[in-house]
Amino acid sequence: MTIGASWRDGARRVNHAGIVLVGVWLMTILISVPMALVLHGMIAQHLGDSLAADSAASGANYEWMQEFADQASGVGVTFKPTIIGFGAVLDNLSAFLDASRRPLVVGAVAAVYVGLWLFVAGGVIDRLARGRVVGASGFFAASGVYFWRFLRLGILQLAVYWLLFGSAHAFLFDRVYRRTTHDMNVEREAFAVRVALYVIFAVLVGAANLIFDYAKIRAVVEDRRSMLSALGAAMRFVGRNGAALGLYIVNVIVFLLCVAAYALVAPGARGSGTAAWIGFSIGQAYILVRLWIKLVFWASETSLFQARLAHAGYVAAPVPTWPDSPSAEAIAQTSASL
Amino acid sequence: MDVLVIRLRTVGRLAAFGGIVAMLTSTPAAQPAPGAIVRPLSPRNANYTITARLEPATRTITGNARIVWRNITSTTATELQFHLYWNAWKNMKSTFMRERVLSGFRNDENRPANDWSNIDVTAVRLMAPSSADLTASQHFITPDDDNADDQTVMAIPLPMPVGPGGEVTVELTWTAHVPRTFARTGAIGNFFFIAQWFPKLGVLQQDGWNTHQFHAGTEFFSDYGSYDVSLSVPQRWIVGATGLQRERRDNADGTTTHRYYQDDVHDFTWTTSPDFVERTARFEHPTLPAVDMRLLLQPEHVSQADRHFNATRTTLKYYGEWFGAYPYGHITVVDPAFQSGAGGMEYPTLFTAGTRWLAPAHVTTPEGVTVHEAGHQFWYGIVGNNEFEDAWMDEGFNTFSTARAVAQDYDPNYLALRYFGGFVPWVFKDIPLPRETEGNGLAGYRRTAKSDVQATPTFRYFPSTGGNITYNKTGLWLNTLERWLGWPTLQRIMSTHFDRWKFKHPKPSDFFAIANEASGRDLAWFFDRVYRSADVFDYGVDELNTEPVQSGFRSTVIARRYGEATFPVDVRVTFDDGEQVTEHWDGADRWKLYSYVRPASVVSAEVDPDHVLLLDINYTNNSKTLEPATTKAATKWSLKWMVWLQDCLLSWAALV
Repeated sequence: MTIGASWRDGARRVNHAGIVLVGVWLMTILISVPMALVLHGMIAQHLGDSLAADSAASGANYEWMQEFADQASGVGVTFKPTIIGFGAVLDNLSAFLDASRRPLVVGAVAAVYVGLWLFVAGGVIDRLARGRVVGASGFFAASGVYFWRFLRLGILQLAVYWLLFGSAHAFLFDRVYRRTTHDMNVEREAFAVRVALYVIFAVLVGAANLIFDYAKIRAVVEDRRSMLSALGAAMRFVGRNGAALGLYIVNVIVFLLCVAAYALVAPGARGSGTAAWIGFSIGQAYILVRLWIKLVFWASETSLFQARLAHAGYVAAPVPTWPDSPSAEAIAQTSASL
Repeated sequence: MDVLVIRLRTVGRLAAFGGIVAMLTSTPAAQPAPGAIVRPLSPRNANYTITARLEPATRTITGNARIVWRNITSTTATELQFHLYWNAWKNMKSTFMRERVLSGFRNDENRPANDWSNIDVTAVRLMAPSSADLTASQHFITPDDDNADDQTVMAIPLPMPVGPGGEVTVELTWTAHVPRTFARTGAIGNFFFIAQWFPKLGVLQQDGWNTHQFHAGTEFFSDYGSYDVSLSVPQRWIVGATGLQRERRDNADGTTTHRYYQDDVHDFTWTTSPDFVERTARFEHPTLPAVDMRLLLQPEHVSQADRHFNATRTTLKYYGEWFGAYPYGHITVVDPAFQSGAGGMEYPTLFTAGTRWLAPAHVTTPEGVTVHEAGHQFWYGIVGNNEFEDAWMDEGFNTFSTARAVAQDYDPNYLALRYFGGFVPWVFKDIPLPRETEGNGLAGYRRTAKSDVQATPTFRYFPSTGGNITYNKTGLWLNTLERWLGWPTLQRIMSTHFDRWKFKHPKPSDFFAIANEASGRDLAWFFDRVYRSADVFDYGVDELNTEPVQSGFRSTVIARRYGEATFPVDVRVTFDDGEQVTEHWDGADRWKLYSYVRPASVVSAEVDPDHVLLLDINYTNNSKTLEPATTKAATKWSLKWMVWLQDCLLSWAALV
């Protein structure tokens, strides 16, 4: 199977698993709504009955935003002009590549969100690998089965990403960048150095991400219990199949196209009421596309893996009926015996 | 009347003929030499003839200065005092470096030896009225603190006192090492920006020499004079300097000597680099003298030449119209190299701007800094206050003037934030930056409003927050005066101050006296609050109530003064039939009750609705309404923030 065919097949699988997409979107909504409500309360309290609310509602009252920022705590400290429109995306991408520290409360929410993804990852990949409806019970059964395995894998991931975002990033940007550009007096040259280092850093993160993706995929598709062996198997697969890298790059390009498209339509700060909700809807459409792309990463990688390695008696995916994997059967047998 | 006309015509013809003859017969020597001003504008009591040579490879400057100083005070000088600014960057022990740590600079200790600087005066000779070698008598003094390690002020006792009107000529020889930039001075690669680089005389005042040590948070002070400076740099390197080039001579040793001259300035600064791209343009105006503009650009900013010229034109036009004409006829704009740290600084007839490779339209980079530094030609260059003690008199005046000038030609300009290591800008067109609050830096002032009393000598401000008191507080109170007194009155105050104190050294009391005189009011109370106090202004509406009564509605408004400082403010009350009542409150009491019985109920109340008092540190509490849009605003902004949070979460979830 070619890279293009894998990507198309992955997209098809995600499109046929709309409930999964909606599910992860709801998960994203559910984790962010409480935080937004907290911020809503902070803003409402600070504005009080002030007429400043009128201009804050109809546009961007920058003076009020600064007054708010000067007294804010908790999630309130992240309420800055950068959240407006495409600035929000730039802010996050920039923070990701520059390994900028976020306030503790945002870090805590991110940790919970990442934990939730760890939980559903098994169910999502299982569903995408099967390419057919498994039902909520099948989905959550798979999620539950793989959660503990992925948690073990997550510890490895945490260690690797800690090294990448801590030591490697510090080495690249605090040492290499500073030393390389210390005597540079042309901004374009310094920017070129920074871009080159971003590329190196992104390649490192991407490589780790790619291997961890295939470790999860192999764990699910092959029902692997040892995450170390899944990691080794993933590395072997990626090493022997250049298409895995090519497919990853295609997915990254799709992500960048999505970001570029959002730059064109990202809503500004004008209006309130209906206009605010329309703006929010555009934002949610962007978030949905981001989630779709994230699922397509897994689905296309699963498709490629299944095309390159899968055998009917060896892995679960090609078998058209359920239960079909040892783990699923085990669950079914357990259920039947109760 | 006809006879008179004929006679005038005859005189005119003769004059025209004479002019033609003069043009045909004149030689260049008959014209004022470049940089010379025939009729002195200043006392010219500190005159320097300097020769200096730069060795870029070793970053060394060797120099010789012949200084003619005249005592224009009524006191007697028994010694000369010189600033040796570059000794501030000799090690971590200087007062400058100790204060710099307080400003948040923590990594200087790791600088390599070559990045530090020093200036060593190797010879001092009295040339007139008698001759004597004074080298051995030079010693360092520390007039501001007891830091024995500070070597930024040198005193040289004179063999004979110099009385009022007396004159003395000394010759000094020195060597100096050019640092990696400190305080806008130094080198990176082959870009050299050389400021505060020669032994410079302090200012003798009635109570003695005013020669402060170099401080991290303040700048400079010196007397006016003429500078005749010959600079030898490698051939083909471009030089920009105070004044105009009079002579250029290639030397056999591979250097070129550039001779610059300028009358009626109080400093001399220069820059050199082989990479500069030179552009020229001219400022012309119906009533102001023309100014030749020379721009030394970094190659990567060539496309921004017009933006630099136009911003300089904006300054020369509006400052010229508002305060007084720029008298020198030429100005040099230097676009400093990336990471040079030399950007955004003023020197007589030359200033550094500062821009970025990616500089989007409708964002005032480079215009903001260009207008500001060009503006310092007026506030600092022409009106030469003591920047050690009263920096607000130039920086604050200029912050206000910059914001006002930028608003004339660059409105609207928008907020831009930079991402990816600060290289990539993004413009937020929903956020125009108003002159009154952003141009004057209200946010910065609000955060440190109580950090220092403005009347404190500037060099004693806390280093990391002093800028907000110097720049922003002054800008805000000047703008408050503009809104309160009206621009014609404030313009009269400032132009009178400019005219009366050009080429002199005004003190705060001089400005306050002019403010009273030109406004026709006693403004002492205002200056007591903004200048002699660190109290803050904060007015607000505490309560707004309405209740039905027999004849309509009884509405009450309680306005409050939350801050310690007082200012007269309006209180505007709006009723639901559209009627508005404006009350004038002197703002002195802690609270004020307004009560109304009207057919209509009250809708809202605002203290200082026209935002006259720009120093109010909390404007959100200035109003209350019974129909607040709070929920709408909070919903809108929390929804926007939620998308940001979701995007943030997805960034990290990508790693799962």
